[in-house]
Formats: sequence, structure tokens, C-alpha cells
Amino acid sequence: MGMFLVFGGAGAAMAAPADNGVEGKTFVIGTDTTFAPFEFRENGELTGIDMDLVRAIAEAEGFKVEIRSLGFNAALQALTSNQVDGVIAGMSITDERKQVYDFSEPYFESGIQMAVAKNDDTIKGYEDLKGKTVVAKTGSEGEAYAKSIAGQYGFTVKSLDQSATMYESVKSGSAVAVFDDYPVLAYGVAQNNGLKTVTDKVPGGSYGFAVNKGKNTALLAAFNDGLAKLKADGDYQKILDKYLANPTAAQPTTFLDLLGKSFPALMSGLKNTLVVTIISFAVAMAIGLLAGFMKISHNIVLRGIATTFVNIFRGTPLLLWAFMFYFGLPQLTGQPINIWVAGVLTLSLNSGAYVAEIVRGGIQSVDPGQLEASRSLGLGYGKSMQKVVVPQAFKMMTPSLINQLIIMLKDSSLLLAIGFAELLYQGQQIYAANFRVTETLLIVGVIYFVAVMALTKLANYADRRFNK
Amino acid sequence: MSASPVETQKPAKITVKGLRKSFGANEVLKGIDVEIAEGEVVCVIGPSGSGKSTLLRCLNKLEEISAGHVIVDGFDVTDPKVDINEVRRHVGMVFQHFNLFPHMSVAENIMLAPVELKKATRVEARAQAMKLLERVGLKEKADARPASLSGGQKQRVAIARALAMNPGIMLFDEATSALDPEMVGEVLQVIRDLAAEGMTMVLVTHEMGFAKEIGDRVVFMADGVVCESGPPAELFGNPQQDRTKEFLSKVL
Ligand SMILES: Nc1ncnc2c1ncn2[C@@H]1O[C@H](COP(=O)(O)OP(=O)(O)OP(=O)(O)O)[C@@H](O)[C@H]1O
Ligand SMILES: [Mg+2]
Repeated sequence: MGMFLVFGGAGAAMAAPADNGVEGKTFVIGTDTTFAPFEFRENGELTGIDMDLVRAIAEAEGFKVEIRSLGFNAALQALTSNQVDGVIAGMSITDERKQVYDFSEPYFESGIQMAVAKNDDTIKGYEDLKGKTVVAKTGSEGEAYAKSIAGQYGFTVKSLDQSATMYESVKSGSAVAVFDDYPVLAYGVAQNNGLKTVTDKVPGGSYGFAVNKGKNTALLAAFNDGLAKLKADGDYQKILDKYLANPTAAQPTTFLDLLGKSFPALMSGLKNTLVVTIISFAVAMAIGLLAGFMKISHNIVLRGIATTFVNIFRGTPLLLWAFMFYFGLPQLTGQPINIWVAGVLTLSLNSGAYVAEIVRGGIQSVDPGQLEASRSLGLGYGKSMQKVVVPQAFKMMTPSLINQLIIMLKDSSLLLAIGFAELLYQGQQIYAANFRVTETLLIVGVIYFVAVMALTKLANYADRRFNK
Repeated sequence: MSASPVETQKPAKITVKGLRKSFGANEVLKGIDVEIAEGEVVCVIGPSGSGKSTLLRCLNKLEEISAGHVIVDGFDVTDPKVDINEVRRHVGMVFQHFNLFPHMSVAENIMLAPVELKKATRVEARAQAMKLLERVGLKEKADARPASLSGGQKQRVAIARALAMNPGIMLFDEATSALDPEMVGEVLQVIRDLAAEGMTMVLVTHEMGFAKEIGDRVVFMADGVVCESGPPAELFGNPQQDRTKEFLSKVL
């Protein structure tokens, strides 16, 4: 504020608005990770309607923005806890949200539209859907709308999780049409995703920029002011057209182009996959060794604990624990959990149960005469285990442990369900923006394959080196 | 070599009193009383399942003892306050199936106990291992892996390993039973040398000829009790019990 007063005269001379309370300041804005065409990454840069809009408004109003790509729910949580100043994330203005946040004027009027495969001339409207199956996104307005007219027109609604998968099922013929948000569909069509829209837009929600209730009023006012300016001088329409009307030239066209453009994001995904696997495997080994020894212990309580642990984690799906740790645990403790912690807990506890069985089997497969010989020399139980039994057990366990490591590397892809930015997740983010599903999956598959092969070779080398 | 009647006045190296051992409901040792003097060589013979191995394994408490007392070198191994690891360092044991540590070289097998129990540095332990290997005639095999040795060589290494802590007592459980006949001799020769040096030894054996030759005393076990015991000449030449006679008639 003091700074502004000093430079106030100069600001006025440059025909800037009068003191709007934001000029020269930097605001932290939270957003979703990928919600094309509102926010998505292109060549590693965050772009999209929301991004262009908030940047253009910031420039017009003389403030700076620092964008944090957090994911939709995380962005809202960050706003509630004042870790970000505002959120722009293709968010509909609803009465519930209005109770906790203050919204700007609507900056986008959304709606629902239906699309069919480009070469499909049989479906021209809802009447042609009789007896057919359509897809919509789980929990979306499109799903609600499709279900509301399904009875009237006699079609079935199947719910899927992602736009890209919905479009693939229409193109592959497992559904005849998709109900989705109009801007998302329009963007997809502009990207040549193989679909065309056939119905008019059914008016739906309006999107707004949000600040915490009663906070950052100057920022909110500046947003509204800037939005009005952009609308007045036509820049607003240019931004919309860029994403919704004209096919974007920047999208990769050839396979090599796609490979080059997606490679940096995929490599960062691979790095996360490898790091989370290696940390989790180290933890799983510690857990597995402990539980494995407890399982062969003479103490019935220790044995019971270890057996229960193994049974629980072998008897339940990995994905359940990912959800439990990431979504369930914070509700019990009231503390948000770091996604790495949730990921490592999930993978290492699951794998730890299998490692425990491998350890138990390995130790029990060592001739009991070995322990007796060592004990008869006067070495204690611990020393005998450490020097005589465990080294031999490890030799027998190594192939199974390598196997377990590879299973874990592949299973880590399940963490995409909680939004962990591993390799397959990055692949999804890429095809969510460019709709090149098959090719992107192919690239991701090859990267997994190479990573697994390399890890196998490395593990076998280590095995030969240390277990000769 | 043989302990004369006068020498049996020496303090007992091993005293077994009323030893009983059960596996579940199955009582395998039904009250054993034996005294073994310092330097004495006792051979234990008897039919399969009579409890010979179990008796031997009770001496260094590889088996939990159900009742009675076993006193080794003055330590009552049934006393929970006695550090059994300490007792075991005074008692070397040789197994039927050698039980060499396959992930270590021959020398490392012998060095393990002295190094881990901090009785010697690695260098000292290695030098001692070489001496022991020389004693059993296998110096050139120091750096070989056990898997590359013949059965007889393995058992000689196992004896060297059991000697590494300089025990006063050696226990042998059918040390030659798993060997091809042509290799039995080389192992028996090592045991013979130990006896000549005055080592206190308990040998469970099926080699009656060897028991006769090397034993100061032969103990015949049957059904978990000591049926008869005495100098080899008496026990083999003039057995008193029917059970002994029956057994000897089958094996001699
Ligand atoms: N760990 C064990 N658990 C249960 N029973 C056992 C165990 N060890 C030995 N036994 C039983 O105790 C009895 C005596 O066994 P032991 O090995 O002492 O006989 P042995 O005289 O050495 O016979 P062999 O000449 O065949 O070696 C046998 O009936 C055997 O089945
Ligand atoms: Mg036996």
C-alpha cells in the first residue's frame, strides 16, 4: 500500500485506473490439474481459457498472478485455508458454494451438449437414441441431464470417469453418443477428436472465479472490472474462439510430434513412478522382514499380529487402501495427508504383506541343521539368524523379491486414482487434452516395459553380485 | 589312551542325572544317569529310535530338557541362569549331515565363531583356521566353497569348525553314517587323533569296530534308558543283558 502511494502519481500519468487495491501485488491462484479447455498443459505450460483469462485480467488491472495447479478439490481446500487467494477452475456457481466463497460475475455460460461419431449419420437427435446406449461423466451435469430424458427417449446411460474414455467408447461403437459439458465437447471437436455435436446446447451452470468469503474483496472487484474490459474490447471472445472454434494448430499432428511434445511430462511421470516404487519397496522390505520374523516367532501374540496384518492386506484390493489413506484417513484425523505419504503407505503395506510371506518361506526353507550348527558353536539366536540363516534365506528369496518389486512398479499406476502424478496418470492428462488415446497409451506402455526390463536386469545383476 | 581305574577319580566333565525328555506325549529319554570323566571317550550305541541323538543334543541343550540335570564343565545347563551360549563354546558338536554353512568358504566356516564372539581378530582367526585345517589335512581347501568338497572332506571341515573355540568336549552324532565307505577312514583317523590328544568325547556311532577300538567305555541304549555300559571288551565280549545280546547279534 505504501509503495502504491509513492508511485501513485506515476500510475495516474500512465492512465492506469485509480487505486484499485491490487495494482503491483501478486496473488496466488489455485486451479485444477487438467480440465481442458479451461486448464491443461501444453508443452509443460499451463494453458486454457481460465489461464488466458486470469492472466489477461491481471495484466489489464496491473497485478500479478502465481498459478498453482493443485487439482479441483485441493484448490478449494487451499482456498478455504487461505493458502491461495482465489480459485479459477471451470467451477460452476452454486448455492452451496456461495455459502463459503464469494464469486465473481459469471465469466462463462456452460451447458450440456450431445455428440456422436463424426461418420455417424443415423443419430441426429434424441429421438434416434431409442434402445441405444449413451455415455456421460460420473456425477456430472451431463449425466444428470441424460438420465432425466433417458426414460422419455428410451435409451440407457452408462457412466464413465473421463472425457477421453467417453469419446473413445463412442468412436469404438460401444456407445452411440456422449453427453458432456458444451465447452469440453466443443474443444474436443476443435481438436479433431473424431466426434461432432448434433444437438443444441442445453443451458447449464455458469462458471465463476472465487475468493474466500469476505476475503480479497479488492481482487474480486478487479476480476469483475477486468472481465468487463476484456468483453468490451473483444479480447474475451478471442480467448474463447482460440479454444472452442478454431482447431488449435499447436496440437501434435504426427506420432513423432506427439512423442516429442508428451515426452517431458511422461518422463516426470516415470520419475515419480520410480521414486514412489523404490521408497515403497524399501519400506515394504522393512515391514516384510519384521512381519516375516514375527510369523516364525514362538510368541503367539507376535505371530497373531503378523498373520492378521498379512491376511488383511492380501485379502483386500490395493486401490481400496489408496482411497482409504488419501480420502478416508484425513476425515478421521482431520489432517490432510500428503499424496506421497498416502501412495507409499498403500504400496508398502500391500507389498509388505507379500514380502512377509516370502521372508517366512525363505527362512523356513533353510535347513534347520544350519541354525543348530551355528547355535552349537555358541552363537546366539540373533547372530545365528543374521550370519547363517538370513543370508541363505535371502538367496532363495531374491527371485521372488525381484518379482514383487516389478509387480509394485506396475501396481503403482493404480495411484492415478488418487491423482498421484505417476506415468499412466501423466498419459491420461495428455490424452485428456489432445484425444490421442491409443498412441499415448502405446507410448506409456513402451515406457513401462522398458522400465520393468531395466529394473529386472539391474536386480538380476545385483543378485549375481551379492548372492554368488 | 584308555583311562585307567585310578584316573577315573578325576572330576566328572559331564554329569547326567535323571534326565528325561519328552516330545509331546512321547517320552524319549526315561531317566538317564551317566558320568563322563575328563579325557574319557564314550561311545553310545543302540537301536534306531532308542534316543541316542536326543541324549547327545540334551548335553548342549539343542533340545529342551524335560526333567533332571545335565552338568557340563561345572555348569548346570538346565539352570535358566546359566548362559547356554557360554557352555556351548566349551562343547564342539559334529553332525551326521555336516551342516557346513554353504554361503561361506571353508576358512570362513571355521572363523565364524571366534570372530563373531570376539575371541580373535579376523587375522588371528584365519591363522587359527589354517592350523585346524592342517590338522585335518585340508589346508589347501581353505578358500573353497563347501559344495566343492567330498563328503569326507566336508566332515573334516566340520570337525575343524567345532574345534575353533578350543572346546574341552566334543560330541559326534553318527559322524560317518552319511559317508561313502571309502571316506569313512579319513574321518575316523581325525577322531582317533583327537582321542590321542586327550579330548573328552561322546560319540554316537553305528561303527561297532571303531567303538571297540576307540572307546574307553561303551553305553548301550534301548527304549530311552541306558541298558548296559562298560569297557568295550566287556560289553562286546560278555554282554549281560538280553537286550544287549539281541542287538549285538544283529549288528556284529
Ligand atoms: N524333534 C522331535 N520331535 C518329535 N519327536 C522326535 C524329535 N526328535 C526325535 N524324536 C523321536 O524321539 C525318538 C528318539 O529319537 P533319536 O533321534 O534320539 O533316536 P536315535 O537313537 O538317535 O535313532 P537313530 O539311530 O535312528 O538316529 C524317536 O522316536 C524319534 O521319532
Ligand atoms: Mg540319531
